[in-house]
Amino acid sequence: MTVKYFATIRDLTREKERRIDGRPGDLRELLTQLAERYGRPFRRAVFDGDGLHGEIIILVNGRNVRHLRLLDTPLGEDDEISVFPMIAGG
Amino acid sequence: MYGWTGTILRIDLSSGKVTREALDPQVARAYIGARGLGGHIIRSEVDPKVDALSPANKLVFATGPLTGTFAPSAGRYNVVTKGPLNDTLAASNSGGAFGPELKYAGYDAVIVEGKAAKPVYLWIKDDAVEIRDAADVWGHTVPDTTDLIRAATDDEAKVACIGPAGEHQAMIANIMNDMHRAAGRTGVGAVMGSKNLKAVAVVGSGSVNVADPEAFLAAVLKGRQMIFDDPVGGTGLPAYGTEVLVNILNQVGGLPTRNWQDGYFPNADKTGGEALAAKQLVRKKGCFSCIISCGRVTKVDAPGFEGIGEGPEYETAWAYGADCGVDNLDAITKANYLCNEYGMDTISAGSSIACAMELFQRGIVTTKDTDGVDLSWGNDKAIVEMTRKMGEGDGFGAKVAQGSYRLADGYGHPEYSMTAKKQEMPAYDARAIQGIGLNYATSNRGGCHVRGYTISHEVLQSGGFADPHVTEGKAGLGIAFQNLTAALDATGCCLFATFGLTGAQLVEMLATLTGFDYTLDEFLEAGDRIWNQERLWNLAAGFTKDNDTLPTRLLEEPLPSGASKGHISKLGDMVPEYYAARGWDENGVPTKAKLKELSLKA
Repeated sequence: MTVKYFATIRDLTREKERRIDGRPGDLRELLTQLAERYGRPFRRAVFDGDGLHGEIIILVNGRNVRHLRLLDTPLGEDDEISVFPMIAGG
Repeated sequence: MYGWTGTILRIDLSSGKVTREALDPQVARAYIGARGLGGHIIRSEVDPKVDALSPANKLVFATGPLTGTFAPSAGRYNVVTKGPLNDTLAASNSGGAFGPELKYAGYDAVIVEGKAAKPVYLWIKDDAVEIRDAADVWGHTVPDTTDLIRAATDDEAKVACIGPAGEHQAMIANIMNDMHRAAGRTGVGAVMGSKNLKAVAVVGSGSVNVADPEAFLAAVLKGRQMIFDDPVGGTGLPAYGTEVLVNILNQVGGLPTRNWQDGYFPNADKTGGEALAAKQLVRKKGCFSCIISCGRVTKVDAPGFEGIGEGPEYETAWAYGADCGVDNLDAITKANYLCNEYGMDTISAGSSIACAMELFQRGIVTTKDTDGVDLSWGNDKAIVEMTRKMGEGDGFGAKVAQGSYRLADGYGHPEYSMTAKKQEMPAYDARAIQGIGLNYATSNRGGCHVRGYTISHEVLQSGGFADPHVTEGKAGLGIAFQNLTAALDATGCCLFATFGLTGAQLVEMLATLTGFDYTLDEFLEAGDRIWNQERLWNLAAGFTKDNDTLPTRLLEEPLPSGASKGHISKLGDMVPEYYAARGWDENGVPTKAKLKELSLKA
């Protein structure tokens, strides 16, 4: 699967995207893995306690996980995950 | 009065007569100001069937009660008129510093009527109002006009003007103020050009009277803190500006690409806010009393695209980028600069070029029609060259500058115009995001995102969540956004202030400023009244429920790729519920009960 980072999240990861070769079963597992790689600032951005942080937008194949199963959203090998901070415009 | 100046300035360009009128406090309370007050004036004084470019049309520059105060982002004014692009009741909203200056000069609104015999500009210095010869500035670009008029009046004058596009009455011409801010949509610049009015320059030495200064101060400080603490208003928008939306819309499959033939642009990241920050950003810039500072001062050094100016915003980056298949941000930014200099709406300009590109793709136009310009998708030089031709009114460019509907219809293919009520839709694909499609179809000024920005809930999870793929609940969501935005626009605050500022806090500021005991219910009812006022005027102009629709492409052609592949707009599922929830009959006409509720006359 591929994880893509955008806006201020790129400041935390210092890369635009990463190919994940392992098989995290769900979003929680994936974010836990990524938090180990990128460290505490990334963890603080994506987790709020045991839950998903209210100020992070995570899409799995273009669908916001808040319309799926949040951290329990299952992930597959070919999935594309996008990570955004809260942004807006018009 | 508190909040309002209580004075409306009326200038008849045909006779040269200048008069002043008192603002009726009851009208002020009911319609608030800016978009609401301007709409009330137009509905009271302009026949909806009038030719928008005739002397019988009027042009209203209107501020709101909060304009010019230190309420957050309170620097807005509206230009209200009959819009020539699509004959709707147009209200184009702009920031900068022009609106506050008009207020300090003592006016809630300036009504311009008639037509000058030769080019003129208005010079307003408090009570002194002159209609001056504009022979020396006619033909000049927006920056040159601004400089020349300041040199002739006052270095500190705030100038709203048209560029060459407005002079030759291009239907997508806008009115620029403070050089870089735009009252952009529906062709308001063409109305100004039709009146031979090149500019309005203003200097004011007054102030805004506050009913309860102590309470207003507290309300404003709380409101500013709410924005500062908001992840969008306080962090996201200041960091990257609006351009940051390119990637998220692309990732949800809702970034209209190649004139809406797709919803996914593989090279979108090259045109996004992140790329702009890395390559072009000189500094951030805010309008009057704004703590967000979403504006971007940029500089391009790339050969052929050199320049310095402001932008692009998200809409511009999309219209000239994905919609034209262009991934060169330098070219996009250069086209933006040219639009600002010639005075053209970037959404309609970029979208109309995209339409021309589809006509080119299909062989409906060739280089013989386009004066030799190769309009192949992705041609970065072509978008710049075509923009210049549009601004100059040159050859094929003059046709494109009339907007995509007139362009495509002129070649017998109106179906390639991606417009709602003949105005180009903005950068959110209604097949991927159902609620915004309902908003485009029902918007009182045609295709527009800032009439009801359901994207906040449907994509950005700001203030709430709504699944973009479903239609259930979208009628209510759309109406809530439309009414709140109408009321907000009337205050003189920027829409972006609502990224943090609640409706209740806005009302607290308005009440303590004006001394009227506004409640949130009364405020939202005012928004509902403004919306219905615009609807009634449009109906009288000849619009019907059949105009509350979207291009066939969105209703019938599924998105071919991206995250929303296979989706179409299910507009038909939403419109009846929308009409009913609005208190309108099955033909989209406000019922007698609704009119009575809002104290509106049919």
